[in-house]
Amino acid sequence: MPTNSLYCKHSRPKDTFLKVLINLAAGITVVVLVGILGYILVNGVPYITWQFISTPYSEMNPDQKGILPMIINTLYIVVITLLIAVPIGISSAIYLTQYAKQGRLVRSIRFTTEVLSGIPSIIFGLFGYTVFCILFRLQVSILAGCLTMAICILPTIVRTTEESLLSVPTSYKEGALALGAGKLRVILGIVLPCAMPGVLTAVILAVGRIVGESAALLFTSGIGYSMPRGFFRQIMTSGRTLTLHLYQTAREASTPDAMNIAFGTAAVLLILVFLLNCLTKVVTKAVKKG
Amino acid sequence: MQTSLTDEHVEQKRAIANRVKTIVAIALSAVIIVSFFFPYIRFVFRDTSYPLTGLQLATVRGMMVYGPQMSGLVTIPLLTRIAVIAGVVLALAGIVLLLVRKPVWAGVAYILAGVTPLVSLITTSNIQTAVTSLNISEIEIQYLWPFLCTLAFGIAGAILSLWTQGTERLAQSIFKVFSCVSVGSVAVITIYIIVSGAPALAEIGVGNFLFGTEWEASSEIFGILPMILSSIVGTIGAIIIGVPVGLLTAIFLSETANPILAKIVRPAVELLAGIPSVIYGFFGMLVIVPAIRTFPPFQGHTTGDSLLAAIIILAIMVLPTIVNVSETALRAVPVSYREASLALGATPTTTIFKVTVPAAKSGILSGVILGVGRAIGETMAVIMVAGNVPNMPRLLGSVRFLTTGIAMEMSYSTGLHRQALFAIGLVLFVFIMIVNISFTYISKKGVQMDAN
Repeated sequence: MPTNSLYCKHSRPKDTFLKVLINLAAGITVVVLVGILGYILVNGVPYITWQFISTPYSEMNPDQKGILPMIINTLYIVVITLLIAVPIGISSAIYLTQYAKQGRLVRSIRFTTEVLSGIPSIIFGLFGYTVFCILFRLQVSILAGCLTMAICILPTIVRTTEESLLSVPTSYKEGALALGAGKLRVILGIVLPCAMPGVLTAVILAVGRIVGESAALLFTSGIGYSMPRGFFRQIMTSGRTLTLHLYQTAREASTPDAMNIAFGTAAVLLILVFLLNCLTKVVTKAVKKG
Repeated sequence: MQTSLTDEHVEQKRAIANRVKTIVAIALSAVIIVSFFFPYIRFVFRDTSYPLTGLQLATVRGMMVYGPQMSGLVTIPLLTRIAVIAGVVLALAGIVLLLVRKPVWAGVAYILAGVTPLVSLITTSNIQTAVTSLNISEIEIQYLWPFLCTLAFGIAGAILSLWTQGTERLAQSIFKVFSCVSVGSVAVITIYIIVSGAPALAEIGVGNFLFGTEWEASSEIFGILPMILSSIVGTIGAIIIGVPVGLLTAIFLSETANPILAKIVRPAVELLAGIPSVIYGFFGMLVIVPAIRTFPPFQGHTTGDSLLAAIIILAIMVLPTIVNVSETALRAVPVSYREASLALGATPTTTIFKVTVPAAKSGILSGVILGVGRAIGETMAVIMVAGNVPNMPRLLGSVRFLTTGIAMEMSYSTGLHRQALFAIGLVLFVFIMIVNISFTYISKKGVQMDAN
């Protein structure tokens, strides 16, 4: 067969080369992920025991190496931050999609939301420290950390909620309005419930961000590790989250035993992140079906 | 007949409800005014405590404080006085405005009244500083019930007086106020980063600070050129590694992958995006740093804590951003472009690189810029692998980024040193703003191009 026949499949070295590169890149991405996950989980999972997650921690006493206070602190920060940010975020999204007319205010809200999502967390940390810890005299406390994180996650909540509010068919609203419902009732009774899965996604994404955050919390909620003795007392004192615990133990670990604490914490964190990721998927799938 | 009767009935009910709301709002503001004459704030020293009423705060010149070594008059800051008086005056104004049936203005007055305690909270910190400068450290400032009462009742009064305009109006106002939170926080962040960064810049000198090559906190030499350059070099390095891999992965996902493989790669990218930066740092510290240390050509030249390690970790961290944004951009390219190219006899691979990628150029570029933003702002992962010595950037040398410069020394810094750290924050903020604005500009341009 002549080599330049139309029916002959040409092998172009350049094409093959590029194809190999594309597959290689995708391969690298997967290998990197598997490498990180594997390394952390293989070293960390054996260290996760019931005792590890249910006992307190102390830097002074090497016998106390649990992560219960950090789990509780993380939980406090997640809950309080959501309590602050979710109402504000949802209200913003409602205002932007249901009330606002295009104008300077809307433009500036959108612009600032964009800007907020681009600000690095260390800047949030500095800001939170000067404003909440010093100016509002909250000291370095979990509450100051929560307020800082609330601003951090606001863009995520506003944007995701806004998208889901916009995807509610106008006919639903029109139907309700035609039945004589007021605007507020339409929003709270029809639009918001329809957009609920989207709001839920926003919340899960925000939880993921809070659980993974470290730089913004380093100066604001601090690195205390005392065992909580009551909700209000705890949120006014410094408390480290799981991420900061990992950071502290990893940096200061001198013995293999101390390293194990870091590995265990990292594995717990990864499992949490993985679960949140799955949860997002389940919710998104439910939305697509519904 | 029947309907008009009902209407009248409803109307009557509404009028009564409005009257009740107005009366409650007035009662609440009356409480605010009365609380002016009760102890508002309490200064607690080691063994004694001095309560001050709002009236006293507004009128007395200050407190004579007798310390063990020194004593002096601690004046009450002017802003505190103004805030305390303003709280009462605004509450009074609210009552008057309600009585003359201007509930919207009354609402504004009440909100402002509710803000005044926050102002006094902020400004009284001067008192603490003044007392501490007299060598008395055991002072604590406690805020008593009138403080909370002004805060809570001010807001409650505002809600009640707006409510008289109907629930719809109230709801809209609340939504509007909440949606301004993001605008307010960006404004406050900008102001505070500038205000707390500027003094150090002024004292050290902008030139010395930005172009000084030495950072020696103990002898008050603050030059951040090495940090700026390390941040820039680190970011560029991460982009040089991350963009090709990310873009090719995006091409894989949107163009060439068969569905089964895509089902493996896509969740991998999603999960990479979700992994906390501390874990990247931890992994880098335990795997990449030792790998660099023991890599034969480098052996003996480096401890492993290096710019190279930071670049590798950052490249992994920017991957998901670049993949996601580029993939979206590639998918947005109309199928007809590809079909036209294929019909002209181009191979699928040529089509990808000569048609699809150029068409998605602006989207890919905005992905790259987002990646730059992420890399330049990353702190915790870098701090764990880069060694943190403020050297000029060398690939195998220990370096300190702008972000890590702040995080390293924040906990124990004082005075000018701390101000210098805030000034680093300001420099970083300016960098990020430039990145952000160019992102907005490019994505807008992309939208315009698509529209054409």
